[in-house]
Order: sequence, then C-alpha cells, then structure tokens
Amino acid sequence: MSNLYERLGGENAVNAAVELFYRKVLADGRIAQFFDGVDIDQQIAKQKSFLTMAFGGPNNYTGADMRNAHKRLVAKGLNDSHVDAVIENLNYTLRDLGVPEKEVKEVAAIAHSVRDDVLNR
Amino acid sequence: MLKFEDRLVELRPGETVLEALERAGIDAPSSCRSGNCQTCLHRAVEGVPPPESQVGLTQGQKALGFFLPCVCLPTSPLTITRPDNVGARRDAVIRAIEPLAPNVIRLRVDADDFAYRPGQFLELVVDGDLRRHYSLASHPEEDPFLEMHIRLHENGRMSRRLGEFKPGDRLHVAGPSGTCFYEGVHADQRLLLIGAGTGLAPLYGVLRDALKRGHLGPIRLYHGARSRDGLYLDEELKALSRTLAHVDYRPCLLDPDAPAGGDVAATALHAEQDVKDCAIFLCGGENLVRRLKRDFFMRGVSMKNIRSDAFTPSG
Repeated sequence: MSNLYERLGGENAVNAAVELFYRKVLADGRIAQFFDGVDIDQQIAKQKSFLTMAFGGPNNYTGADMRNAHKRLVAKGLNDSHVDAVIENLNYTLRDLGVPEKEVKEVAAIAHSVRDDVLNR
Repeated sequence: MLKFEDRLVELRPGETVLEALERAGIDAPSSCRSGNCQTCLHRAVEGVPPPESQVGLTQGQKALGFFLPCVCLPTSPLTITRPDNVGARRDAVIRAIEPLAPNVIRLRVDADDFAYRPGQFLELVVDGDLRRHYSLASHPEEDPFLEMHIRLHENGRMSRRLGEFKPGDRLHVAGPSGTCFYEGVHADQRLLLIGAGTGLAPLYGVLRDALKRGHLGPIRLYHGARSRDGLYLDEELKALSRTLAHVDYRPCLLDPDAPAGGDVAATALHAEQDVKDCAIFLCGGENLVRRLKRDFFMRGVSMKNIRSDAFTPSG
C-alpha cells in the first residue's frame, strides 16, 4: 500500500487543494479575521507547505516555525475552536476534490497533531 | 561552481544551494526546506537553475531566474543573489521631464544596458542617497529611453529635487525589480488591467508589451483618478481603443456619490463578475491592490493569474 501522500496524488493534489482551501478559510467568518491584512501570495506559499505536511508529504516540520508563525495570533485570541474550524475547512476541501473518507480522516489526524504547536502550548 | 554575488561558495556533491550557503556562513533564511514555503527564495543572475527548484513560482519569477535554494541541486554553474538585490547603479541622463497632469510628471532618462520588462520598476537615485521606486511605462524594443510617471508630493524630498531637474542633468538608476509584467499569459486570454493614479505607468507598459507580442484576447484597461486631469493618458488611450477592436479603455473618475464608493476598484468589481479565466494586472495604492486581489481571488481567479504592484507613498 503506498503512503498517504502518494494515494492523495502528491504535489498535484496540494496544488489542486491550496486555493480551494484558502478561499474557504477566508470566507469563514469564524477565522477570517486572523487573515486581515495578510498578503495572499505569501499566504498561499505557507498554506502549501502546511498542506504538504498534512498530506504526509516531504517536509522538515519541527514545530518551531509553526509556533513562531502563530504567536501573534494566539495573543489575538486564537484558540481550539479556530483550529477546529481550519480542519473542518480542510475536510470540506478534500471532499470537494473527491478524496475518500479514509484519507480525509488521515489528513485530519495529522492536522490535529500540530494543534499544540499552533496554539503555543 | 556556485557564486553568491562576488563570493565563491563551496558546493559539495549532493548538497543543496541552501546547505552550501549556510555552511559558508551566509545569512540565508529558510523554513520548510522542501520547496513549498518560498522563504529561501533567491535569484540566479548567471546560469540556469534546475526546473525542480522553480516549481510553484510564477512565470514572471521563473523568467527572471528566481529559484528555491532548499531544493536546488545545481547541474551547471550558478551565480546567485538575494531576491531584493537591485544590482549596481548605472549612470542615467535626463532626456525629457514634463508635466502630464497637475502633480504628475513624465520623466524620460537615457541609460545604457538597462534590460527590463515593461511594468517592472527601477530605483531612481539622486544625490547619492535619495532613492525611490518608479514603474516603467516604456518598452525596451520601442523606446530608446526609460519612461516613468511620477506623482509629485508637496513636501517630498524627491519631488522637490525633480522640480529642479532639466534635460541633460545626471542621476542614477538601479534594478529593475518586480514581476508585474506580461509573462505566462495565453495570447487569447482575456486581460484585465486595473490601476489608479500613476499605477497607470506599469499597466501602460504591460498593455504595449501585450500588443507587441501579438496578444489576441480582449484587453480592458481601467484607470482611476480623482479628477479629470488625473486621467493623464485619456486621449491617447481613447484613440487606441478606437483603433484596436480588442482594446477597451475605461476611464473612472472618482464619484463620491456612487453607492459602492465610486472608485476604480468598486467600478471594476461591479463590472467584472465573470473573471475566472482572466489574466489580471493590478497597480496602485496598497489598499486598492489588496482589495482587488482578495476579491478577484474569492471570485475564483487563481493567484497565478493575478499580477500586482502596490505603491507605497513616499515623496
């Protein structure tokens, strides 16, 4: 059985998902405020590296970058409910792309695993 | 062989450019180290980076030699530099300086060997340390000069200096920079160019470049201004859109009484509902560019089809 990243379709899957995912996040009133004033181009590149990691693809995830990137947002009130909302949008994105439930759950599990780093705790 | 600017950097077999830079003690930021986040972006000024180190970059960035050191295993000699390095200053002589509108001048300078793409910007350097960025409205294959459209600010240092300049005076230019130019566009794609004030300069450059390269798809150019004088290429652009059936010029005078705000962004967003397959170019103040970028992205335009240049005000 090939690994998750290969089953999802690798880099092409990330490319197909990233803009769909980010549009959903920006349209979600629960979390959109955290992206106010953020440059979309830079954000897409960051989301791509997050999705690559969540899809089980090649990455050098250490947690430190995730902590630093979200410190400012935690100070602004970022909490578990916002992380849940992001993962929910990720699930919707994958379903829109026709990804089977088994893989959707695996991706969600990886995304959940970085929750403590995101929330700096 | 790997060079970072003037410095030779040892590259061991199997080592990425990022690893080599770090080992040489060169300050090179990085984050994902797997070719996604683009934190480590650099530019090759000599040599060709391997294609796998340019995955995910825009066509414009690729054309300029940008690449990602963290996934770059060079196969041929490379000389690289930081992405914001504008290179050496070059001598320039003022050819013409004249008003285009109240508070807007057209500056044409002669500079040897200044290669650029219309829509990019340069750094104008005066008196050694006074530096400003201005977009290029000229076309390198059609104009022997570099043309800029410059808004003058009452108390700006550069504005005051520009007011004193006359043809024959000397200054310096560096660059070019920026990726807001005609690259990676299909000849039959619809082009949407939206700008305000002197944001028209790069769009005018892009428009001319598109025509020069035989663009066939419909081209619509919105230019916003606060007053009629501010539509400083009105006559020329009206004439152009009368001559060329696929060029449509839409001047937008600020109308404070209009329900949606009445600026060029509101007007364009109202008129352009079906934009999914357009190639979009946005130039002007930061708020205008950010708003249009976001709204068009949310309407389904891929970011690879949105090129933009946001001006930061400085006198």
